[in-house]
Amino acid sequence: MARVYISSVIDVPAVKVWERVRDFNGLPRWHPSIRDSRIENGEPADKVGCIRDFHLQNGDRIREQLLGLSDYDMFCTYSILESPMPLTDYVATLRLTPITDGNRCFAEWSAEFECDEGEVEGLVNGIGNGVFQAGFSALKRQLAV
Amino acid sequence: MVKVVKSTIIEAPVEDVWAILRDFNGHEEWHPAVVQSAIERSNPSDMVGCVRRFKLADGSELRERLLTLSDIDMAFSYCLEDTPIPLLNYVAHVRLTPVTDGDWTFWSWESRFDTPKGREAELKTLVSEGVYQGGFDAIRETMGLARETAQ
Repeated sequence: MARVYISSVIDVPAVKVWERVRDFNGLPRWHPSIRDSRIENGEPADKVGCIRDFHLQNGDRIREQLLGLSDYDMFCTYSILESPMPLTDYVATLRLTPITDGNRCFAEWSAEFECDEGEVEGLVNGIGNGVFQAGFSALKRQLAV
Repeated sequence: MVKVVKSTIIEAPVEDVWAILRDFNGHEEWHPAVVQSAIERSNPSDMVGCVRRFKLADGSELRERLLTLSDIDMAFSYCLEDTPIPLLNYVAHVRLTPVTDGDWTFWSWESRFDTPKGREAELKTLVSEGVYQGGFDAIRETMGLARETAQ
């Protein structure tokens, strides 16, 4: 089991960040690595169980299923159904927590998955830096006051 | 039932903050409200179940019992056993989480308790501002960190 954990501080209230990230079909609007996205079968993007089918800027296609969504706890959990990455059993969670001191946002993005021993380092770096940290860095730029 | 949730960012690695906070008797060193503290029966301060007996500046004495201590989660919880301040059924939880982007610490401190009717707001402010926010600021000072500019 490989694990990725990335966390960051975004200097706006957590509810403002949540407005941006809760849309399971909204990645192309804020994540620089995502080119396009659609929800299969015309389902609402906040229907738990819905599937997003999207492309990275490099053309790779990924399908992910929404497993859990909470407006109260501000988290979103999803799994990968199909991707070119050499991994299986991938489950990830994006979670926001208010920082009461300064009314800011503590953002955490974590994932667990199975893969061959030799692939761990590359996948952990690629997902952690290329996807999760890149996403937080983009949010910090976009939401900066 | 009153619930208090406070959190902050300490601009220091999580291991450094945990090294200070995990000592259940260490608050006399850094918390401005505590003037003197001792673990009863000379138990080690990381023995789950140990009791810290401490005095506030006004001379009042409190006893708190350590309920949970986890080095892997960098978390502990405790309850009030004796207090002249009417915080009833008081259980508090402290947890540190690494901020990988910057190598900082997210520190969450929360509790639930009952109070006499009509004193909820007063006692909630005492706990959230006097104890928790006061503790955040004191740790920052202890570690030689500048007060962050809150927005």
